[in-house]
Amino acid sequence: MRPKTDLDYVELYAKKLKEDNSSFKQQKKLIESQLKSSSSLFRNMFGKADFKEKARKYIKSVSSG
Amino acid sequence: MARFSIRFIYAEALIMNMTKGYNIKGDLIIINRELTELDIFLRDFLKVLKKYADYLVVSGFVSISTGRARGTEDIDVLVPKFERKRFSDLFDDLLKAGFWCYQGDTSEEAFSYVGKMDHIRFARKNEMFPNIEFIPVDHTKKAQFFEFNHPQKIKVKDFEFKIPPIEFEILYKEMILAGKKDIEDARHLRAFFSDILKQEKFREYEKIIKAELR
Repeated sequence: MRPKTDLDYVELYAKKLKEDNSSFKQQKKLIESQLKSSSSLFRNMFGKADFKEKARKYIKSVSSG
Repeated sequence: MARFSIRFIYAEALIMNMTKGYNIKGDLIIINRELTELDIFLRDFLKVLKKYADYLVVSGFVSISTGRARGTEDIDVLVPKFERKRFSDLFDDLLKAGFWCYQGDTSEEAFSYVGKMDHIRFARKNEMFPNIEFIPVDHTKKAQFFEFNHPQKIKVKDFEFKIPPIEFEILYKEMILAGKKDIEDARHLRAFFSDILKQEKFREYEKIIKAELR
């Protein structure tokens, strides 16, 4: 069956991964590149000196907005 | 004919060389992959937490650790209800291990949330993400309390941790959380673990989760 929806693709990928673990390599790259991007984004936004204070202000502004 | 046979043997050899996504060893699920930085973050957090309390890793990380191709910002960890002193010791130990808490720099500030069974978050120093969502549970949260007390062991390389029974996690995502991401996570788990899922477990857990919805 040719996949049509997002769910079909999720299922197809999972079935392939069940039989062959080679796709885990791509998944690792995806996860780690997201972590790297997010880390550099927030370091640039908040710096190192008062990271926590700025981060907490940001969380408050996001959750109240 | 000869060409067909050679192709057949070659294809068979390829199949023989493929490693499955997971194996089962007794009551342990072994995922056949390398550790990611997300695993290492969780492993470092659990190393401290386990000295003070039991835990259960739930939700998105269960799907991601079993191969779902998506990112995440947080890892949900269920923990039992804490009394003040034990929480204070855990909190100080987490700070020593290089974590910070979104909700405050002292155990008193953080306990003002945890004592009321509210969630708090921990990340590594100078990082926002990933973070651990620290979720206290007790008998009043029936479904979560049930899964907390019925863990499934899972292992990636040398990192062993506890998750809910797979059938329970699938139903919880389909029936309680039910967002697009959750339905996709559930579909992933159904397909990836199709060889080991048990219908009688689905029937048993469905009753528990339906009770939560009432």
